[in-house]
Amino acid sequence: MAAPQDPRTAAAAGPRQVRPQWSVSAHARRLITLALAGLIIAVITRRPEFAGVAAPAVLLLAVRRPGQPGQVGVSVRTSATRLTEGESADLEVAVTGYGDHSVDLTVHPRYAVVPGAGGFSAGGESRLPFQVARAGRRSLGVLEITLRDRWRLTEGHAAVELPAVDCYPRPGAQQTRVVLSRLPSRLGEHASRSPGDGLEFTGVREFVPGDRQRRINWPATTRRGRLQLNTFAAERTQNVVIIADTSSDVGDPGSTPVDHALRGSAAAARAYLAVRDRVGFVVYQGSVRWIAPGLGARHYYRIMDLMLADPGLAELRSRAGGLTRLPRAALPPASLILVFTPLLDRRLVETLRDLRERGFSILIIDVLNAEPSGSHDSLSGLARRIWRMEQQAIRFSLRELGIPLVHWDGEQSLDEPLAPYTRRVMVSRR
Amino acid sequence: MTGQQARTAGAAGLLAAGCVAWSATPLPGPPALGRVILAVAAGCAALSVIRLVLGTAPDDSLVYLNPVLHAARELADLVRRVPWAEGMVVAVLVLEALHRSRPWPTGLLGVALVGYLLAVHLAESGARLAVLRPQVPLLAAGLGLLALAVAAAMLPAETGTTAELMAVLAAVAAVAAGGLALQR
Repeated sequence: MAAPQDPRTAAAAGPRQVRPQWSVSAHARRLITLALAGLIIAVITRRPEFAGVAAPAVLLLAVRRPGQPGQVGVSVRTSATRLTEGESADLEVAVTGYGDHSVDLTVHPRYAVVPGAGGFSAGGESRLPFQVARAGRRSLGVLEITLRDRWRLTEGHAAVELPAVDCYPRPGAQQTRVVLSRLPSRLGEHASRSPGDGLEFTGVREFVPGDRQRRINWPATTRRGRLQLNTFAAERTQNVVIIADTSSDVGDPGSTPVDHALRGSAAAARAYLAVRDRVGFVVYQGSVRWIAPGLGARHYYRIMDLMLADPGLAELRSRAGGLTRLPRAALPPASLILVFTPLLDRRLVETLRDLRERGFSILIIDVLNAEPSGSHDSLSGLARRIWRMEQQAIRFSLRELGIPLVHWDGEQSLDEPLAPYTRRVMVSRR
Repeated sequence: MTGQQARTAGAAGLLAAGCVAWSATPLPGPPALGRVILAVAAGCAALSVIRLVLGTAPDDSLVYLNPVLHAARELADLVRRVPWAEGMVVAVLVLEALHRSRPWPTGLLGVALVGYLLAVHLAESGARLAVLRPQVPLLAAGLGLLALAVAAAMLPAETGTTAELMAVLAAVAAVAAGGLALQR
């Protein structure tokens, strides 16, 4: 089998030439065995019927002719370079220069890539469906091309490295939003406590010179005999910073705290950006990567890209730099901080305490759904009980500090655990 | 393994069982030797079908498997590596050679063996039966030569070493001549 080629060139280049390595097929080897065994037994036993047994195999082998193509053209591209988890896409493969040989394509997938069923069409092009089951920057694997001559006696094998795709986490369901009681004075869509020019009616007051005449409430004016004015709530935006703790990847692949943290973060980012809130994002993975709050659909994809970015070497070296050192641009004052974390990293827990003491409004979404595995003996059971009590103590201490904490199993809608905080504004205490 | 591959593997299994049973009925030669070769043939036939059912080795790593699964995967890889079909063909022909000369049963065995090898190839490669269409004339010619060889063996002939050797060489020459003629 030829050596796999570089995935980046595979993604970028058009058709390229690969050299198959030719060999006698397993079918031909079996026919040779039958022919030789038949002829040898015929000579040894002097029984011509064994020579006859060898005849079909000899004739099938006799037609073998040289003339295999020295190289074939292969073009590989994906129908989409960005997917979400579980979304289907196609691998479009075109093979040229294979003459009258038959072509078989086999995908040897890498981790989290699920190939579907697909075949090679006579026109030289085929579409092989695939899915990516887990978020990340995933290399699809290796495409093995098998050429067979029309007599099925020789086989040529070539391998082509498949391109990589970006797989975004599948956002969880979230329709409602947590809104703080104090909002920064920036125009938005959340009704605030202060009066302003919004749409939500808050009351009636006496007219004073300078007020807009179109807001005069004529029924109230008639009743009271003095000019009365409708008042409305100001509509403000809020800054939301989402922190995804991806430092602890425990449990079954696909439903680990990392998966749930990324899916929950994607859901929250989508929900808040939909109402024109400014959303920032911080990935905590020992080191910290962040993106300042921003608006719009493009910002959503910037957040998604940050989720997929691997921590560079420089970031890994500077693990000491934590959330507390983030600049104001990343953690604006009076912003709502949503933290998706399994609370397994003590440094993060201490950092959240520190942030709370500095006056930030924090809401923790606990995404831990796994327990330490082990045998069922009494010692393991005791260890598990101690571990559970430690986890309960951590959560209790955070609640005591005034940090609300909800648990999300990763399957249900985020609206359910967040319901106590979405029905009314969340009072931000300092 | 697709449904078609499963059907072809089933056909290969039936043909293998038929070949072994046909060549072992009645058990030829010295009983001990016959039993050993029969056991080898039956084992190779069974393992060749198991090899087809196992298919190609999965791509995932063995590193994180527990010891039992690891051992099972190693065993499966061993089954995949050994050419059991070739072993069965040789064992069955040797078993048949232990019989006294019986030309037409040997001829039928040859047909079944060719069918078995084609079924193994189809099951292994996942190809459809239509890919064998170019080989049909060759198979017909080969079966014709097989019939000729069987008929030649059934004719009353001069007994004696030289006469028997000449008959065998004539059959071999006929097969070679047929192959050369078709190659042109």
